[in-house]
Parts: sequence; structure tokens; C-alpha cells
Amino acid sequence: MSQDKCTIQVNGVEVEARPGQMLIEVTDAEGAYVPRFCYHPKLSVAANCRMCLVEVENAPKPMPACATPVAPGMKVHTKSRKAIDAQRAVMEFLLINHPLDCPICDQGGECELQDLAMGFGRGVGRFSEAKRVVRDTSIGPLVSTDMTRCIHCTRCVRFTQEVGGLQELGTMGRGDRVVISTYIEQGVNHELSGNIIDLCPVGALNSKPFRFSARAWEMEQRPLIAGHDCLGSHIFAHLMGGKVKRVVPAACEEINETWASDRDRFSYEGLDAPDRLAEPLLRENGHWRAASWDEALDAAAAGLRRAGGDLAALLSPSATVEEGYLLQRLLAQMGSASIDHRLRRRDFRSQDTEIEVPWLGMPVADVERLDQVLVVGANLRKEVPLLAHRLRKAAVRGAGVAFLNPARYPMHFPVADALQGTPADFWLHLATLVRAAAQGGETPPGMAELLGKAPAPEERHRQAVARLREGGRSAILLGNIALRHPRFADIDVLAAALARLTGSTLGYITEGANAAGLALAGALPHREAGGRARARAGANAAEIIARPPAGLILFGIEPGLDCPGGAGWQRAPAGGRFVVAFSAFRGESLPALADVILPIGTFFETDGTFVNGAGQWQSFSAAARLPGEARPGWKVLRVLAERLGVPQPGQATAAAIAAEVRKLAGEVMPDALARQRPASAIAAAGEVSLQELDLPMYQVDALLRRAHALQLTADGLAGSMPEGERLTA
Amino acid sequence: MISAIKTLSLWDLLLGLRVTLRNLFVKKVTIQYPEERTPQSPRFRGLHALRRYPNGEERCIACKLCQTVCPAAAITIESDVAEDGTRRTTRYDIDLFKCIYCGFCEEACPVDAVVLTRLYEYHMEQPGQNIMTKDKLLGIGDKYEGMIAADRSADAPYR
Ligand code: SF4
Ligand code: SF4
Ligand code: SF4
Ligand code: FES
Repeated sequence: MSQDKCTIQVNGVEVEARPGQMLIEVTDAEGAYVPRFCYHPKLSVAANCRMCLVEVENAPKPMPACATPVAPGMKVHTKSRKAIDAQRAVMEFLLINHPLDCPICDQGGECELQDLAMGFGRGVGRFSEAKRVVRDTSIGPLVSTDMTRCIHCTRCVRFTQEVGGLQELGTMGRGDRVVISTYIEQGVNHELSGNIIDLCPVGALNSKPFRFSARAWEMEQRPLIAGHDCLGSHIFAHLMGGKVKRVVPAACEEINETWASDRDRFSYEGLDAPDRLAEPLLRENGHWRAASWDEALDAAAAGLRRAGGDLAALLSPSATVEEGYLLQRLLAQMGSASIDHRLRRRDFRSQDTEIEVPWLGMPVADVERLDQVLVVGANLRKEVPLLAHRLRKAAVRGAGVAFLNPARYPMHFPVADALQGTPADFWLHLATLVRAAAQGGETPPGMAELLGKAPAPEERHRQAVARLREGGRSAILLGNIALRHPRFADIDVLAAALARLTGSTLGYITEGANAAGLALAGALPHREAGGRARARAGANAAEIIARPPAGLILFGIEPGLDCPGGAGWQRAPAGGRFVVAFSAFRGESLPALADVILPIGTFFETDGTFVNGAGQWQSFSAAARLPGEARPGWKVLRVLAERLGVPQPGQATAAAIAAEVRKLAGEVMPDALARQRPASAIAAAGEVSLQELDLPMYQVDALLRRAHALQLTADGLAGSMPEGERLTA
Repeated sequence: MISAIKTLSLWDLLLGLRVTLRNLFVKKVTIQYPEERTPQSPRFRGLHALRRYPNGEERCIACKLCQTVCPAAAITIESDVAEDGTRRTTRYDIDLFKCIYCGFCEEACPVDAVVLTRLYEYHMEQPGQNIMTKDKLLGIGDKYEGMIAADRSADAPYR
């Protein structure tokens, strides 16, 4: 290493640098601030704002620090007369066409231009000619535009090109008539588009749902973990008076870098939905009425006690570890093991032999270091947008990313191969791949029947296998479509066989924010907390949905929208089934089914822990204020357990509960290939439609279904929920 | 010796009484309020008002600078996008019990919307009347716009 180091002088101080590194990185590391607009560490260098001019000795003119490579012996001055004069002159030019808009600009108070104008601007303008005005066009429901304020740094353009992968913005015109524009009649529809709000150093691009509703300095910032996909992105909630006003990403290089998906950024809008529950509801003589917690809990306890051991619980895959753990323990103490969070799964044949905790099989950041990837059954950009971004980084670097899907999903990077089949049978390609991989050698034991069905390998199958086998670090990732497929057990067995034969890692892209955490917390019918098998397995989600027991607990779900088949549920005649629902929203399907509805908080308002797809335990504290009488889910569960006579001593805080689960779970995530999985003997029904397998990205949980602006995006409007069931708030 | 004489003759008292005697013959400054009023400076800081432009458009743009600068935290503003797409307040309250009439809000306002008028004769009878809502403030602005505008222009040369 030492030979690629050289020393340069920054403001008279000797510092180490790599030749070829840009000056601005060195000055930043040294703590010598250089003003900048267009430079961003995650984007390519454009050097078009010229704000970062510094003096380099022996150079004839000031040099832009963001685009000047380090050379040995350089002497740089960031605060010399020459540098400051150049920076001030650039600032004067930038302000020539900038409106005096700060009082009505949402960027005011957190604006890079405002800050630098304070530091480098002149007190008085000398420009008396007409200023430029740019007409605004709407680019979508998420990002507001005030393009007169644009300083043409092109960060937004470079983002859509380099990070988004689909160029949705560009520049038109020249000189001071340059405008940032979309393609004709097009908007910005990318699932990461909200990031241009943060990137824009001025108030040209801002959040539309947030528009004009608060000032940067009035809000309080609280860290949170986003609760809509298995990445567990770090975010900040900005609150005013206990209400979430907006969400911005928090930097976390190993998970979300500096980005947030639109889903995580704008889901907060659902918190204020008109059907948000602020008090417990009780059904009385067929009518709903508001009740006190005492009444509601007593009614819930009485009803559940009547059901005896014939109890079951369905919980959202985005419930916290604490909630899952308390709920399964409550059920166990009542004598039932029928609890499940795998609501949309159809095939449970292999549940005893598959991996205890489904996870990616590697840290999130390692996904971009893979050399060969086969993604099976995933509409990846819509399922986990930032994981798709990691794969894009891998692909751009040269990795081969192949897909096997029931439909052709447009990706934002070059795809090595896209194998495709019908929704029911696309997985047969996987069997063909196993056949291709096993060619010449022996086929994995017990799979003859499965492989017999597969068509003979063609050249592209042999190539796909060769890529996985010889291409360096390789992985097979099973997505939500695979997990929801009626032949999941077969897909899993085949994927494991292919992974073994090709030396790849097998990983799972799970549904919801906390599938791994809930598996570890024991919210499964066949495993207890920590992942050990239960002595007697309870009913799984499909069985519970098909034959609801006498007592049913629904936690954080709307059965009509979250459980396939749940829409057909009818309320049992009086005296029959008793249903207790824990929910933040009233919705339509709960009142039709439940007997008691207990209002709980979302992840914005609850202390909790998520275990993300990489096995990272991430705890967070409640950020926003709960509406009315609503309470955090884990607290309600504790009190309910007491009323049921099965008190849960010892854990008065969410942190204590999480610590207990973590002790049971241990630190090591399981290896997907550690156990042999026998192929399942009985064939399952395979008929299924694409709509059932691939859920619209803004319909996956109750909060998102109520996020107004997201529902107006192209992805939101494409939400293929049946009419009448779709909620657009 | 001298100090003993001064003490015995109440010399200091006489000195004081001399001032009293002199003032018996000077012109009186007491004002017979409410029949008589003291003169006011155009900079007088009394009751607040919100102004409009001559075409009737509200001046206030909900920038919240007055709320931010107010040392007594007397101003509460909520803002949103108005029907015509502009930035407007949906609530603008000044709590007269908190206000210390410093005039900072007027100084901070970039569009001369919130001003302190020369009105000082007001009272409250009911709890809650101390809160000047947006409607009340705009009403005062409408009614006294003549006075407000004249005061601002009288003071303009010195600003
Ligand atoms: S972009 Fe910055 S400088 Fe420009 S009007 Fe907005 S706050 Fe002011
Ligand atoms: S809109 Fe913002 S990010 Fe895009 S070029 Fe203009 S100033 Fe830069
Ligand atoms: S006069 Fe001073 S104390 Fe009163 S509202 Fe204005 S800024 Fe606040
Ligand atoms: S930051 Fe260097 S030219 Fe813009």
C-alpha cells in the first residue's frame, strides 16, 4: 500500500493521499471544508457548479477540488485570498438567476445554497437584469418541483442514471437556459425516486406530500428502522408535535447506504388515515361501539377463555420480535401452537426440513460483491427496491444476474438471462437446471420424480449452470413469488440441490420486515422460540385460514387483504367463533369478522426489534405519539396475558423481551444447506395466477394501503387488488 | 459645626421644597385620559394586525419567521398548500397574554404582513379572547390599513 501513497500539503499541513484521488476527498478527510454543490460521494464527478474552486500552487487558475486528481507534492490552499475570491465570484453567478424565495421554500433552513450564500455571498446583489423563470411541470405525486430554483448541479440527473439505472431526468437547453426535464409526457416513476429530494442541494426538488407543512427547524429527528421490507433500512422520522411530518434516510453503509426506497419514505402518510383506531372497539348486539381498555380486554379474555385450547393466531410478517414472542407464549400457555406469520404462503409440505430461519445467507452489502446470481421467483425491484439496487451494482460491475420468473419484469441493469415460464410451472426450469448441473454425475437422491418432469436441458440452461459453477462467488436467491408458490417445497428442494451442485449460497428474500425475527421468536406452528422443533406442531397459516378455530387472534393484519382466502371469511353465527383483532386501522374486513378490536401502534409508535434479511437484530424506540387510547402491541399482549391468567413476569420493557429472545436464538444464523431435504412425496396442486403470486408493492401492509401519495404513483395505481377492496384513502 | 446647623434647620428638606415651589408655576403635563391622549410615534408597538395587498391577497406566506423569532413563543402557525397552490397559513394565532410587544415579529416578516399597530385600547372579557386568530388579525389589518400604511411610510426614511 505504501507505494500508492504520497504526501500533499493542504493549507500548509502535510497529509497522506493516494495519487489520482480527488482533492475534495483529501480535504474532507483533513477537515478543511470546501464548499460544493454538484459533488456527491455516491455519484460520478460532474464538476459543473464550480463552487469548490481552490488554489493549487503553480496552477495558473483556481482548480475545482472535486475534479482535480491528487499529484505528489501538490500544495493546496482552501482559504487563501485567491480561493475565497473565486468561490465568492461563483456564488455571485449562481445567485444571478436564483429567486429570493427562501421564505416560501421548503428547503429554507436546510439549504446548501442558503448556507453557502451566508458564508460566501455578497450582502447586496449587483444584477439588475431580468431573472430567469422556469415553468414547472408535474413529475409525479411524490416529488414537487420549483425549477426556477435549480442551480443545474445535475445531481438528480446523475442519480436517475447511475443509481436508479433508468434515466428519467435529463437536461435540455444550454447556458443559463438549461432546464431539468423528464422525457415528454413522462414522470419520475422509479421506486427510489424520492432520493432526488435529498440529493437536490436547493429547493428545486422537494417532497410533495410534505409540501409547506412544516419548517426544518421545528421538527425533531428520531432514528427508526423501516418496516416494509426485509432489509431493515435505517431512517429518521421528522416529527412536529408528536406527528410524523416526513421520513428521510439515515446513512448506514452496510444496509441502505444513504438511500431510502419510496415505500419507506412515504408510508408515514398512512398514519393519519381516516380509519385509524384511537380507542378499543367492542361488538355489542351486532353493533360496534367504543369501549374502555378494561371492558375490551375483559371481553377479549372471556371470549378466548371460552374457546379453550382451540385457539390460533395469525400475525403480520412485519410484527416486531417482541410482539411475536409474547403472542406465541400466550398461545402456548393456553395450550395451542397454532400461530403463523407466513400468511401468503401456500405450500407447507417442507416446513420441518427447510431452513429454520429464512434469510439472505449473507450480509446485505455482500450482495453487491457476488459474481453470479440466480434469482428465482422475485419481482425484485418491487419486493425489496434497495436489494435490487445492490444487485444492480453487482451487475454494473460485471456480475451475471439471471432471473427465473413467471413473468418478465423489467430490470434496471443488464440481465444475464431471463428464464420464464407460466405461473404454475415456471419452476420446472429449476429442475432442468439441476439436471444440467448433475449431468454425467449422479442426480441428488430422492429427486428422480421431480427431475423426470423437467424438460431436457438446453444450451442456455447449461450456460446458466456453468456461470454459477465457475463464476466466482455465486448465490441463488428465492424471492416472494417462490415463497408464495403452491410448489414452494419443490422449488426449495431443487434450489438447494442446485446450490449444492454449483457451490452457491442459498438465500431467501422474505416477506414483510421481520420474517427472520418472527421465526426466531417462535411465531411458527412447528418451531418454538430459538428455532427448535416443537413437540407437537400446530396448524399453519393455510390450515388456520381454511378452518378457523373457535378462538382466533389477528395481529396487525386485515384478513381480507393480507390472507389469501381471508376475503371469504364470514362471521360465525353468535356463540360460534370468537375473534380478537389487534390493529392500527379499522379497515373493512376486520369489523366484518372480529368481536373485539384493540387499537395498537405501527412501527412508528412502538418500541421494537426487527431482524433483517441478513440476520441483524435492530431495535428501535417509538418515535411518534400514539393516537388517542391506542397502545403498543407488546404492552397490550402483556396485559391480555394477565387477564387470561397466564401472566408473563419479568419483561417490563421491549428491550428486555428482545434480549430474552436473542438469548434463545443465539448469534449464528443457520446455513440453508446444512440439512438434507428430502423431496416431498405428495405433489401439491400447482394452479395459481400471477396476481396471486406477485403483490403490488404498495399493497403489502395496512399502513402502505393508506399512504395516499404512494397510491397515486404508477406502482400504486397498478395495484391489482380487486375493485372495492383496494384502499386509496 | 456646619453640618449640625444644616441638620437642625432641615436644610435638605428646604432644598426639596424649593423644587416643589418652582413646579407650582410650571405648565402641567398630566393628561386627562380618556378625554386627552398623549402623542404617539409611528413606531408605537400596540395590537398586532395582518395586512393584505391592495388587491385583497393575504400578504402572509407562512414562512414562520415571526413564530421562530418571537422571544415569548406567542405565535402559533400551521401551514399548508392553499387551493391556488401557494403557501398559506391554516392557523395564525397570537397569544396577547404571552406577547411582550417587542416588535420582533414585524422586523422578521419578509413581506410586511404582521405589523404592530398603534392600537392599545382593548380588553378581554372571556377566557380565550387573548388569542388573536387569523380572522381577527386580518380584520384589524383591513380596518386600520390606512393608519398602518401611513405609519410605515412615515418611518420609511429612517430605516
Ligand atoms: S433553494 Fe435555498 S436559497 Fe433558494 S429559495 Fe430555497 S432556501 Fe432559499
Ligand atoms: S433540480 Fe436540484 S439536483 Fe437537479 S440539477 Fe437542479 S439543483 Fe441539481
Ligand atoms: S411582538 Fe414580540 S413577543 Fe409579541 S408576538 Fe411579536 S415577536 Fe412575539
Ligand atoms: S463540487 Fe466541484 S464543481 Fe461542483
